[in-house]
Amino acid sequence: MNTFENVLIIGSGVAGMEASLMLSKAGKKVYLVEKLSLIGGKTIKNEETFPNMDCSTCLVAPIQQEILQDQKIDVMTVSTVQKVSGKAGNFKVTINKKARYVNIAACLGCGMCYPVCPVEQSNEWEENLINKKAIYVPCSGSLPNVPVIDADKCLRLNGSEECNLCVEACMFGAIDFTEKNETIEIEVGGIIVATGFDMLDVSEIENLGYKKYPGVYTAMEFERLFAANGPTEGKLTLRETEKIPESIAIIHCVGRKEVGYCSSICCMYSSKHAQFLKHKLPEAKIYNLYSDICVSDKTYQKFQKNVAKHSSKFIYRDDKSELEITQNDNKLKVSYQNNKGIQDAVTVDMVILANATVPSNDIELLTDVLQIEKDKFGFIDTQSFRIGSVVTSKPGIFVAGCAEGAKDLQSSVLQAEAAVSQILSMK
Amino acid sequence: MSDKIGIYVCECGPNIASKVDIPKIMEEISKLEDFKDKELIIKNHKLLCSVAGKKFLEDEINENKLTHLICAACSPRDHDTTFINVCKKTQLNPYMYRIVNIREHCAWIYHDKDVATEKAIRYIHAGMDRVMYQNPLIEKQLDSIPDVLIIGAGIAGIETALTLASDKRKVFLVEKTNIIGGNSLELKKLLPKQGISLNGLKQKISDVKENENIKVYTNTEVESIVGFLGNFEVVLKNNDKTIELLTGAIVLANGFDLFDPKEIPEYNYSEKDNVFTSLEIEKMYTKDGKIILKSGKIPESVALVHCVGRKEVGYCSKICCNYMLKIANYLKEQSSNTKVIDLYKHMCLPNKNDQMFYDSTVEKEVDFIKVTDVSLKGTKVQYIGIDEAKKDLDVDMVILAPAMIPPKDTKNLAELLKIDTDELGFYKESHMKINPISANLDGIFFVGAGRAPIGISEAMIQAQAASGKILTQLIPGQKIIPEVMVSEILEAYCTGCKTCLDVCGFGAIYFDEDKGISIVNEAICRGCGNCVGSCPSGSIRTKHFTNPQLYQEIKEALR
Repeated sequence: MNTFENVLIIGSGVAGMEASLMLSKAGKKVYLVEKLSLIGGKTIKNEETFPNMDCSTCLVAPIQQEILQDQKIDVMTVSTVQKVSGKAGNFKVTINKKARYVNIAACLGCGMCYPVCPVEQSNEWEENLINKKAIYVPCSGSLPNVPVIDADKCLRLNGSEECNLCVEACMFGAIDFTEKNETIEIEVGGIIVATGFDMLDVSEIENLGYKKYPGVYTAMEFERLFAANGPTEGKLTLRETEKIPESIAIIHCVGRKEVGYCSSICCMYSSKHAQFLKHKLPEAKIYNLYSDICVSDKTYQKFQKNVAKHSSKFIYRDDKSELEITQNDNKLKVSYQNNKGIQDAVTVDMVILANATVPSNDIELLTDVLQIEKDKFGFIDTQSFRIGSVVTSKPGIFVAGCAEGAKDLQSSVLQAEAAVSQILSMK
Repeated sequence: MSDKIGIYVCECGPNIASKVDIPKIMEEISKLEDFKDKELIIKNHKLLCSVAGKKFLEDEINENKLTHLICAACSPRDHDTTFINVCKKTQLNPYMYRIVNIREHCAWIYHDKDVATEKAIRYIHAGMDRVMYQNPLIEKQLDSIPDVLIIGAGIAGIETALTLASDKRKVFLVEKTNIIGGNSLELKKLLPKQGISLNGLKQKISDVKENENIKVYTNTEVESIVGFLGNFEVVLKNNDKTIELLTGAIVLANGFDLFDPKEIPEYNYSEKDNVFTSLEIEKMYTKDGKIILKSGKIPESVALVHCVGRKEVGYCSKICCNYMLKIANYLKEQSSNTKVIDLYKHMCLPNKNDQMFYDSTVEKEVDFIKVTDVSLKGTKVQYIGIDEAKKDLDVDMVILAPAMIPPKDTKNLAELLKIDTDELGFYKESHMKINPISANLDGIFFVGAGRAPIGISEAMIQAQAASGKILTQLIPGQKIIPEVMVSEILEAYCTGCKTCLDVCGFGAIYFDEDKGISIVNEAICRGCGNCVGSCPSGSIRTKHFTNPQLYQEIKEALR
């Protein structure tokens, strides 16, 4: 087979999905490799996207459905790329496809299997705000709507012959413990890396009190707390105290100094968070603590100004001095230096940290496998002196979305479309 | 041929079977009074979407020579496409099929099995009534032209041309001035990691000129464009000459203008003073190799003023903070003794390498002062700092960073092409988030500063993105299949009021002056139904969503 007709796409967020659909339309066979059990990326973690407050699911679910129904796209979930050899036009790729232990063709996603599972473990996808079972879907609305069994936690897969509860609960005979991890060899002409991002671990920044004070949340934790399909079904109750916050401080630029760049999306999602809060808790006092407001697309400033007018007080804090969060009587005190150089503070029930966007935790491994270069921050480097910033250091391998650096949805989509043109122009 | 209606009830394993009474449904449906003269084939299946289920359905359609098909199953979101694909394998036209959702709408939402069963019967009956009014629709195939017209020969237009041009695809690059290269040619240097070097740009310009699949038209403007994806008729005007072209897609790369500082009274802006815009400084440095005052002297102190016109236009222009850093560097490399004071409101450094550039500029002893307001009298500057204190600053030279605004051409081109612009005057994207460089009409794209202010590296990405769109939508030799469920206007009822022309978001309706009626161009129509709702004489209908079809379905569902 002509390997130019095959393309490998790593990561199934908006960038990976857009590239997959376009290439399939152009007649290519697409292998879409996703390490998680669901496709859609991080967009689906958000209830709504800024600035038009489009419902994320409504935005992404039709695309997910189209991907899953596309005959020319081979979606490989719970899979990772293990080895790549060859060169542009003729890459040999080894994919490790982990056993799901649930037959995708037989499962209807009725959800009868997970309530009966006796195992409890933390749900990382839900930012550990809730538990999941050993057989689970990360959240309701996952696509493909088929659970996966965690081989490390499942009693049956770890020697306990007796546990057969999920098998008994499944009315379709979809659970299959004989499934094995597979090694799949494919040949492709080009590769697009669209593996997305992670968020900076803020527990390393001591004076913020994250993980020390229960009222301190990261931005992504807040997204899940707010989401209707999240751990609290959208109820804004604080962990441990179960209290509904009456005052909230949203801190911008958390970890910016540590990572050495502006993540470009935080000002907007923090404004969005303020609007979320105002809608659900109209009486709450909401503060945004910022140093510079970065609202760099044409409609962003209007959105932010609107939030500043109706939803939140924006307070300037001098970033030359450290911000400190302390707790007293369940109240969080956020101390900062104000515009006049004087130490000031707000006292609140809840703090949301807009933490920096960082390279995904498996980027090291992946760049090694692909033999492509990283930049000084750990994102995938691009050959700027050549033809634009989706070309990696290795011919035939392109990058799209936040794997290249922090960016908003539309910029990710644009890079995916650009990467597609580079794949289709390969000779 | 007499009607033969197949009704297939999916059990969805226990999902439907345990919550509604399927035998009762089948019996009730078989006894329907209004279908007693019709031949009904009613069967159930454990799982219609399974491989076995799809084969079963395919065989049933073929063996029974069905004329109409109902699948009583799940949400169309899940398996409408599945069953349409089954129909496509058979003689049955897919538009003679209807899915009825008895899972999400019935089985899953009631505790009472009788209620769910009764509703399922009603819904299936409604689907049957509708399907009897459905008509077979045939997909059309249109030839398409793979060639592309690009308007504007700046860096974005050039990159698009070079990405698209091939032996199988000609590119027509139209530029209204006499040079190609655009604003980028005025720049002395580019920002670090901006996606291309100046030499690279010059190389690209000569590549365009040498590429035999790219035809460049300088001093040329667009006179008219009509058509749709795959088939646009273009008329260009070069002085007195008219040039006619056929292309399959249009790429708008007509750049940007800068906000005029004269519009801000507090700036008292006059060309006579030593007050310059950023682009003037770039031109001066490129041309003369130095940045000098009107007197010819090198300035001893310079104030850089950001966000000029930001308040007036209502958005951040994204690239100004970065290029002001570049100008600060120019001044310091010209003379490290020049005092450079950078008056910014919000330092906006959205790309990963920007912060490093800022940090290295700070090290060159540029003074950064965060301000809330600035006013000017020539080179006498007054500002209010973030600490709310009012301060005066007397400098030799002031450099302004004016907002990027849509060029005048944008409005004209948008009107010519009947595409939308947003409230700011930029081209409006088909979807801001997931389809950001496509116009609301198929086959028309915009790159560069068309949708919003951007820098060179992003313009390059957009050029490649538009190319990606075109390479996947206009494949040489491949036919275009337009929407089947389109609107049609019944000539006899049309009064010629033209209401439909205003509501059509796709420019799909035109007015036939001879007949005095509106006509739908089926190749452009997307079947949204706006015109149907707006027509005062009820002369428009959308295929597959006709009034009788909807009425029959609703009548039964509400019974």
